[in-house]
This record gives sequence, C-alpha cells and structure tokens, in this order.
Amino acid sequence: MNQFVDECRREWRRLGVADPVANEMAADLTADLEEAESEGGSPEDVLGNSAFDPRRFAAAWAAARGVTSPPPPDRPSPWRPSMAIVLAALLGVLTIGAAFLLLVGRSSSSIAFATRRIISGPGPLRLFAPGPGRIVVPGRLGLPFVGTRIAGVGVHPLAWMLLVVGVVGLGLLAVLYWSPWSGPRRDRRHEGRRTPSWN
Amino acid sequence: MQSKLVSGTLWCMGNAEGRRSQLLRGVLDLCLLAVMEDGPAYGYEMTKRLRARGLSIVGEGSIYPLLGRLERDGMVETRRAASNGGPPRKYYSLSPEGERALETGVSEWEAARDAVDGALGLVKAEVRP
Repeated sequence: MNQFVDECRREWRRLGVADPVANEMAADLTADLEEAESEGGSPEDVLGNSAFDPRRFAAAWAAARGVTSPPPPDRPSPWRPSMAIVLAALLGVLTIGAAFLLLVGRSSSSIAFATRRIISGPGPLRLFAPGPGRIVVPGRLGLPFVGTRIAGVGVHPLAWMLLVVGVVGLGLLAVLYWSPWSGPRRDRRHEGRRTPSWN
Repeated sequence: MQSKLVSGTLWCMGNAEGRRSQLLRGVLDLCLLAVMEDGPAYGYEMTKRLRARGLSIVGEGSIYPLLGRLERDGMVETRRAASNGGPPRKYYSLSPEGERALETGVSEWEAARDAVDGALGLVKAEVRP
C-alpha cells in the first residue's frame, strides 16, 4: 500500500505536481486504502484495476485535476535563426569565393598561356605579359594578381583551405540544424503523449 | 468445431467485459453525482455507496481521476473535514452545476436506454384487451 502511494508520489513529482497538492492526494489515497484494508478489503476495492499500475493512475488523476505543471516552454535554441542565417551566408560566400579563386587561378594560367601568343605587343592592354614573370595586372584592391599567387601567397592552397572550411562549415550547420538534438524539435516530437482522462 | 466454440465463448467473455467497461465509462460520472445526492462523501465512501447500489468498480478504473475532473469542471464542491475518528478527508458534494448536469444526464441516459431497449427488442408492446 505504501509502495503504491510512494510510486504515485514519484510520478507526481515527475509531472511537476506541487507538493501541497501531491501531499493532499497522497493523504486521501492513504486514508482510503487504510480504511479498505481495515474492512478486510484490498486495494482493488478502492482503485479497481488501477491498483496494478500506480504510475498510470497517478498521471491520470493529476491530469484530471489539472495540477500537472504546464509543459516547459521551448528552450531558446542555440541555433537562433538570425545567427544561423548569417553564418550560413558567410560560409556560402567563403565557399563561393574559394571556388571562384580556384577557377580563376586555373583559367588565368590558361589565359596567360593563350595570351602569351596573342597579345604580345607593347601597350597598356597587355593583360598577361609573355615571359617568365607574368606580373601584369594590378588587383582591384591594390593587390597584384600574379597568375596563381596573391600578394606573394599561393592561391591554390589558400583557396582549397577556404573551400574546405566553407563546405565543412555548411555541412556542420546543416547537420546541426536538422539533427534531432538541435533544440525544440525534439520536444515537439514527444508532445503527442497524453494521459487518459479516466483510468 | 469445439475449438471454434471455445474461442467464440472466450471472445464473448472478453468482449462483454470490454462492453461493460465502455458502457460504465460513459455514465460513471452520473453515478458519482447520483450517490452524492445522499450527502457529501469522500472517495472510498462513494465507492462503497456505488457497491451498495449494485455497481462494483472492481476491474474498472478508479474513481479518483473522475472525481478530479468533476471538481475541475465545477460539478462538485469539496471541503476537508475529519472523518469518523480517522484523518481529515476530502468530502465531495454536488454543486448547483452538478445538480443540473445530473438532471440532464439522467434524462439523456433514460432516452438512450429506451432507444437501445427498443433496438434490442426488450420493450414489451402494450397489448390492449
């Protein structure tokens, strides 16, 4: 009997039932069970078939009385939408930029080889000068674009690194966003559980 | 043939229990309100009153969740008072809304019962001499 009431108490605590309410229900239940026992009855005489399932009984009673605590509000997700969008945009720009650098670096070499034969005369339009130096076009930001090098740094390793960082970052972002442990989605998935109104 | 008979009998027994439970489920709140007409009562006391009227809840669910719902819906009023030498108990009594609900519910039950009786052929036709 005490075990039944103890199980009920545990369930009420789990459901967030306030202590005074839980104490009151437990006292009523104990008194009824004791009375039935003193009359030679069994817990079934008081509880029906609920005597075999204290947790369900306790949940049904608390729900019927409306004393369970309301479900906790969705905790603020670490993935605030605005932050996620900004991060995704940055990573996207990074990835596209790195891919562009790789493509331009490769094609510029090709162009350089091609133009070496075509534009070989003097004048300001000599985009890619023939010869071993190939330093012709100043970059837009003042950085000299030198075939496959920017400001003395190799473009390909840098671009590859940025590309990898961008792709991996976007991948992680996607995984975290759609993963089941990424915040309120998990809670919504379990909202369907209801306790019966009468047990 | 025999196995069919046995399985049929078992099915009928199980089905009868399920049907009884379903029927009771729909009217147990009315029964509780009805026994409260005899006076305020605590939980187990109501169970005993029901049993005295021929309705045992053994095998069914307990009445506590139902009492909780009736209280929440304002159908009953409660107060704590000392029982006969025992600990303080929560006594339930009919509220005005509960009295109205009982009256309406009894009418609905009678209408439903008569209709079912008619469908089952249990209504005896009046034969005029």
